Amino acid sequence: MKRIVINLVLIIVAFTIQNCVFPLIPFLSASPNLLLILTFSFGFMGGQRAGMLYGVLAGILLDLFYSGPFGFYTLFYVYVGYVNGICTKYYYEDYITLPLVLSILNELAYNIYVYVFRFLIRGRLDVMYYFRELVIPETIFTVVTTLFIYRLLLYINRRLTEFENRRDTTIV
Amino acid sequence: MESKQNQYILAGLTVFCILLIGITAVNDEWLAPLRTGVGYVLIPIQSGVNKVGVSIYQELSDYGQLKGALEENRKLQEEIDRLTEENNRLMSEQFELRRLRELYDLDQEYMQYEKTVARVIANDSGDWFQVFRVNKGSADGIQVGNNVLAGGGLAGIVTDVGAHYATVRSIIDDSSRVSAMALQSTDTCIVAGDLTLYKDGRLRITGIRKGGDIKEGDRIVTSNISSRFLPGILVGYAVDISIDSNQLTSSGYLVPAAQFSNLQEVLIITDVKETEDPEG
Repeated sequence: MKRIVINLVLIIVAFTIQNCVFPLIPFLSASPNLLLILTFSFGFMGGQRAGMLYGVLAGILLDLFYSGPFGFYTLFYVYVGYVNGICTKYYYEDYITLPLVLSILNELAYNIYVYVFRFLIRGRLDVMYYFRELVIPETIFTVVTTLFIYRLLLYINRRLTEFENRRDTTIV
Repeated sequence: MESKQNQYILAGLTVFCILLIGITAVNDEWLAPLRTGVGYVLIPIQSGVNKVGVSIYQELSDYGQLKGALEENRKLQEEIDRLTEENNRLMSEQFELRRLRELYDLDQEYMQYEKTVARVIANDSGDWFQVFRVNKGSADGIQVGNNVLAGGGLAGIVTDVGAHYATVRSIIDDSSRVSAMALQSTDTCIVAGDLTLYKDGRLRITGIRKGGDIKEGDRIVTSNISSRFLPGILVGYAVDISIDSNQLTSSGYLVPAAQFSNLQEVLIITDVKETEDPEG
């Protein structure tokens, strides 16, 4: 329960920073997708069920912010949580390479999803332009940020686990 | 067993989302209470973080800009001299303009629209969409379809309103279309946002009819026939107009009058253009 509350707070903080703080920083031509990092990390560390739960939460926040069709982001984030949850069997605390690779794949999938359903269907065909100007910078920023955020999440996860174990022993 | 269950959950959620997308694509009015409800929680947070972010950012940039400011100060002094001279000239033209206006009774209507100032509290951080959120909503008289101004020009249109927030799609968004006209010749055209032109700070002008007289540097304002934008609001200036390959229309680019980098305050016109047709 405590874990869910903390993770929910993290998601809201990430959402707020992403929307209110990053746009203020002028030299940041692209900004990392914090919600995506959180969702896939929760899925990767906590399994498919957790991934889907936080995917729904993050997606609903985004859907509420945009006025497009409701559910567009939720659908994608649920899948991010689910698919990354599959990889949870390779989860090992000090293993940073796999999360980074996942981060790249997720970011590419996200951008392709947005491009196909919001741009391609309106006949915008200039794939290379979007790829060069939007997708690559954002992916690089996201991967770099993953390095930090993922470690932070690992730390929080470890503390929470310790806390839960301690509580269990006191009850017994 | 567990993975089987997860697959069911995933399938259920997928169907649920797709249904929602389908329903809301047709009509998303019923979502308004939900959005407003979440807004009650999120907007104070967003406003707070925004305020802190702005103050920290300003503090930092104040120091950074001190050096540049000295140099700029010198340049500005020269600028002032030049502008004073220009101002004198413009003043005399202003008197002339006033006289002529009275003569033709051409009191420009858009000066009389009801306006309210709102603060931008959240931007879309991704680069795909140019959408932002302001801290005033239906409680302040803002409705869907209100025109938004910034820096003397049209900035966007309200697409979604909660009790204390409104979402604005700016005219540089890829899906934005504004029916516009040239101020001098009243030839109509369409001003469309285009993501591939975003980095150059331009928009696309299309659909100028053959023989239409829109030249480089012409002021482009919202047109009388637009069903969503009030007439006569400055959108920007036309550049690089050329004839299309079909020889029937011309197109070109527009440099917007509003500044979109670092938007902080915007003016929202609370009058809505009253027409039957919601599109266009």
